[in-house]
Amino acid sequence: MPLFSYIVRRILQMIPTVVFILIVTFVLIRLLPGDPASAMLGDRARDADVARINASLGLDKPVLVQFFYFVRRIATGDLGDSITLKTPVVQLIAQRLPVTLMLIGMAAVIALLLAVPLAFVAALRREKAADTVIRGTFQVGLSMPVFYIGILLLTVFAANLKWFPVGGYGDTLSSKLYHLFLPALTLALSFAAVLMRNLRTAIIGVINAEYVDFARSKGLRSRVILIRHVLRNALISTITLFGLQIGSLLGGGVITETVFAVPGAGRLMIDSIYGRDYPVLQGLTIALAVLVCLTFLVTDIVQAWLDPRVAR
Amino acid sequence: MSAVSEIPRSKWRLKPGSWPKTLVSGGLILFVSLLLAFFPGWFAPYDPTAFDYNALLKGPSLEHPFGTDSFGRDVLSRVIHAYTIDMQIAVFATTGPFIFGTLVGAFVGYAGGWTEIVFGRIVDAVLTFPFLVLVIAVVSVLGPGLGNMYVAIGVVGWVFYARIVAAEVKVQKRLDYADAGRVMGYTSTRIVFRHLLPNAITPAIVYWMTDMALAILLGSSLGYLGLGAQPPASEWGVQIADGKNYMTTAWWISVFPGISIVLTGLGFSLAGDGVAELLRIRR
Amino acid sequence: MKTIAKAALVAGLLLGTSLSAHAVERGGTLNYGRYADSLFLEPVLNDANVDIWVLSNLYDTLLLPTDDGKGVQAGLASAWKLADDGLSVTLTLRDGIKFSDGTPITPQDVAWSLKRAAKPDNGEWTFIVGSIGDVTTEGDKTVIVKLKNTDPAILTALTVFNTGIMPQKAFEAAAGTTDAEKAKAFAEHPIGSGPFMLKSWDRGSTMKLVRNPYYWGMGEDGKALPYLDGINFEVIPDDATRILKLNSGELDGAEFIPYSRVDELKSAGNLNMELYPSTRVQYITLNARPQLDGKDNPLSNAKVREAMNYAANKEAIIQIVTHGVGKPMTSYMSSATPLHTGDKPLFPYDLEKAKSLMKEAGFEKGFSTSLLVLAGNQDEIGIATALQQMWGQIGIKLDLQQVDNASRTAQYRAGTFAMREAAWTDDIADPNEITSYFVYSPNIGALHTGWKSEEADKLFETSQKEIDVTKRAADYARIQAIYNAEGPIVPLYETPYPVALSKKVHGFLQIPLGNNIFTKTWLDK
Repeated sequence: MPLFSYIVRRILQMIPTVVFILIVTFVLIRLLPGDPASAMLGDRARDADVARINASLGLDKPVLVQFFYFVRRIATGDLGDSITLKTPVVQLIAQRLPVTLMLIGMAAVIALLLAVPLAFVAALRREKAADTVIRGTFQVGLSMPVFYIGILLLTVFAANLKWFPVGGYGDTLSSKLYHLFLPALTLALSFAAVLMRNLRTAIIGVINAEYVDFARSKGLRSRVILIRHVLRNALISTITLFGLQIGSLLGGGVITETVFAVPGAGRLMIDSIYGRDYPVLQGLTIALAVLVCLTFLVTDIVQAWLDPRVAR
Repeated sequence: MSAVSEIPRSKWRLKPGSWPKTLVSGGLILFVSLLLAFFPGWFAPYDPTAFDYNALLKGPSLEHPFGTDSFGRDVLSRVIHAYTIDMQIAVFATTGPFIFGTLVGAFVGYAGGWTEIVFGRIVDAVLTFPFLVLVIAVVSVLGPGLGNMYVAIGVVGWVFYARIVAAEVKVQKRLDYADAGRVMGYTSTRIVFRHLLPNAITPAIVYWMTDMALAILLGSSLGYLGLGAQPPASEWGVQIADGKNYMTTAWWISVFPGISIVLTGLGFSLAGDGVAELLRIRR
Repeated sequence: MKTIAKAALVAGLLLGTSLSAHAVERGGTLNYGRYADSLFLEPVLNDANVDIWVLSNLYDTLLLPTDDGKGVQAGLASAWKLADDGLSVTLTLRDGIKFSDGTPITPQDVAWSLKRAAKPDNGEWTFIVGSIGDVTTEGDKTVIVKLKNTDPAILTALTVFNTGIMPQKAFEAAAGTTDAEKAKAFAEHPIGSGPFMLKSWDRGSTMKLVRNPYYWGMGEDGKALPYLDGINFEVIPDDATRILKLNSGELDGAEFIPYSRVDELKSAGNLNMELYPSTRVQYITLNARPQLDGKDNPLSNAKVREAMNYAANKEAIIQIVTHGVGKPMTSYMSSATPLHTGDKPLFPYDLEKAKSLMKEAGFEKGFSTSLLVLAGNQDEIGIATALQQMWGQIGIKLDLQQVDNASRTAQYRAGTFAMREAAWTDDIADPNEITSYFVYSPNIGALHTGWKSEEADKLFETSQKEIDVTKRAADYARIQAIYNAEGPIVPLYETPYPVALSKKVHGFLQIPLGNNIFTKTWLDK
């Protein structure tokens, strides 16, 4: 099956990408000024203490040697221990990454539910009142800084109306979904805005194209034409954008996670950069890289399915 | 020979009198923004860095239409002076990536084959790398400031354009007029630049306009983290971060720069729609 | 007789009602909002305030700090005596004290814990108990701490977190070969001697403590402390969100309230906006080396530093940045630190004097320099922006550089910075710690500035062994006089710990050292 071999091929292609990312991260974080010991010990650190701790972490050895030890460890599935938190990196990632994934998943669903129908309405009612209102509202949503939207939503819907808890994370699945709704909505607003813009343009472009008339001339009903042919073709470039947005959300939801006190991977990543926690950053970057590659794989498959012309 | 006459030509010649409404309104907003950016001193009533200890955290009034901040600085003047930096961010952070990304994307989309495979790997690597790590790393190593921020944004930014353009060029390449061009013996370069690219560039231009608004927002997020413009420079993101602790007690510090971001973003996005509209009309 | 009986009856009723109005209530779980999560809850090997301030709830010490943070009171030890020659302390343990798993706390546990804390190179805090030579036990209730030299701060040292008493057998039974490995394993399921025990810890999210049923302390109602069933620490890094959560009732308390919101919360009807006295001081560190970056360093000139101090309007900064919550520093150490001297704010604002000092120093035209600011920290940005403008008036062009903490620490330790912002809180209720870092050059070169005073160094060394309180106070008065006049810092302000508590919360205390004391805390039902 061509699809199956395509997937296998893409997964194999992921490997050099992930390896490359690993090497870049490994080197880059060691270029940053400072080191884990002094980051951990803070201003009171004395030279002897810092040297001692760095040595115990193997950080006084040349970078290549450190890399060798690291790779050897990965081969056994051991990503090492966090320097600041002193717990295994694998455990930390297993605790924090699913939270971010759930958050992004919810954000994606909300974004699609908002963007797709409204893009249609805006495209069909182009230049009319509905179009302007929709685009204007999304423009405002897109332009407001995330922490502002977050605090606003928390103040109105959580603190005042008490429809939602004020940030945090729950224990059971339903409790988690409940806690994550407002942060997911915050992320979804700019996500949806970007999608809607692109989708609207694409829909307009497709409607103008010749083959819609051709299809109509074949006697199909309008709505069928709209949904099947127009959406299918319009989604092509938007799908690419969708994948890209998910990719950037995976690496950058830290402000939302901070405002809503969500214990996700974004905060873990920022903390590990500021704390020069090399093992956590390395492990987390690998995990995120794999996830992003998989996201691209999925969107490319969907794109190929939608547009046979692009089939590889 | 009818196929020849149906080859679409470049869309860049403008017909007077038929400019889309969106382009006009967007262009107007951008024109005003650029005016404020180049000549803030003409419009700002005060020096944006001047403290006034007698007017700390005062609400909007006749003397200070947008109120004052925690140092007694006039918010209106700071918002106006911020146009300089923020318009700079919008342009510098996106233009380089746009040009570079579009060229690379067009080339890759047309060439296909091995080029496409290698490009795919590079794109994956760049996009897969957590962006925030990269920005913080670049800024930490090179030092704080706007220039280094552009470097960090640019390293990743070009890829978005390249990917979009590559996908579009790939689609366009299969269409009849491109085959016709090849049959006619046009060189690849001519086909790419005069026929495919003008058609394929539309989504890139639309994205560019969105990207400019996004660049300002990104600058504001980085300002929130302390990684963008440094004090005492006026920049909307920094101003919004300044007002973070005063959202209930002195809302004007964050709200007015926020409104500027919305308006400027609106300007870019209307202009982007307008350009898209313009290019579409020519078909 | 009748009137006396009547009066007694009335008095009894009054007394009864007033007592019941303040009667403690048992039970309930307190939800407390923190700005950051702890990292490693281990008394000896931790490195951060976020750990220290919570540790006292898990591990008790032989002696406990008094509520004002300056003195000592009985802890696990019910009696203590410093020998006449000052070279040993004999402590008597209470009867019936147990760890949180029910096993008795023995003198051997105490001796082992203290020796572990004093072992050289074992963690960052060994210097606090650096004078301990050996610890021996006698019988089943007595511990004798033998000192290498007289140490005026030894009793205070026995209240510090790193002398928390830990169970020797349980620790040594933990997985791992080195002390560090065992500590890691032990910290997953710690067994401690404090009023609370660790129940669960979702990192970055929630830490749950429950009461230790074996705790020795007694409450006002005659039953064992603590009053609370448990504490839920929730990590909410964003200040605005933390306050929202407190206002909505989901939290009973929140720490680190931004200064800009203190007034607002003071007038909130359901909250008590507490400002606990602290040892926290905020200052600017100036590099005092003669050469910086290959060029002559103007900051090495004491007159220049004096000028910068006079040109910095601290009252204005206190108003702008802390909204009046802070107060000027009267010495390099906080007014809550023992042996602090000085009752006048250092370097009151005097622009003319600053200008003439710059002229005397030969810098009438001023110079350019830079200041390292913690990226994204609103307080530091506020201070820096204000100083930029104020020093501009004496010709100093200040370039602000926002960097992250690790970058700043790297430049700091290397001594390549020009100026940096900094804050300090004491970890021990004694001036020796802050002085060893700020003044005493052999330690870290006086805050890595390269500043040095032979006289101050000598005075510090003698004061470290001086057990005569009056003499020691005189030594410190002189050290402070020297450093405050020409030290390499610009002192800015002291601020209290701003904690907002629901009106339902009683008996909570944050001592000047920063420890959060929940032992006697109780909740209205």
